Amino acid sequence: MLGIQDAEHEETAPGAPTRIISKLACSLVGRTQTIRVVPGSHAHQAYGEQEVIEQFYCNYGLNPEFRDKVDKGQLKITGVDLGGEARIVELSDHPFYVATLFVPQISSRPERPHPLIVAYLRAALAFQTSRRNSEERGRKF
Amino acid sequence: MKPLKVGIIGDYDPNLLSHIPTNEALGHAGAALSVSVHSSWVPTQSLANGFDGSTLKRFDAIWCAPGSPYKSMDGALRGIQFARERGWPFIAT
Repeated sequence: MLGIQDAEHEETAPGAPTRIISKLACSLVGRTQTIRVVPGSHAHQAYGEQEVIEQFYCNYGLNPEFRDKVDKGQLKITGVDLGGEARIVELSDHPFYVATLFVPQISSRPERPHPLIVAYLRAALAFQTSRRNSEERGRKF
Repeated sequence: MKPLKVGIIGDYDPNLLSHIPTNEALGHAGAALSVSVHSSWVPTQSLANGFDGSTLKRFDAIWCAPGSPYKSMDGALRGIQFARERGWPFIAT
């Protein structure tokens, strides 16, 4: 996406020169963090709040060295921890494209479905409807 | 309402903390919207060779599940690229 041909993940390519995804300074396995959400983002619309608490289960994340480069592209950093490290990214010109470093599904409960997952399924419903309408009009999708 | 079909890119392993909750959380969110959700796991290796999108087109949304390293990073990336370029609703957690 950013034209970085040798982009690598430190978990599978620990010696690679361009590790976009690198080992976190501190493991987040089993931890919770406060996330600040950027106003106007999909995440913000889903939560309806600018500060949320989420559960993590990971050891790798966006390499802070690439933070600015990523944020200048189409993928925007829309959630950060209190230290400013990327925790949510999303595409601005896409109906719904959200990636989180935390694991929202773990904190979902029948009586308290996770707002991001509800927003995701709402986008899926809209997509299903628009696709059906296009097909009915005879357009190939 | 027609059920929602969600394709979950990932190598399903019930021993991983996050995989069973992925299916469950989709059910919770679906119930909140009064729609049933049919989720299917799509192994990363099945997307690796000769991928033309046909495996994923049948879904209404695509989810990239946790659990790296994937059996096929290439397959996972192709699935993610499909969602990004073709406008399928997408979440990666």
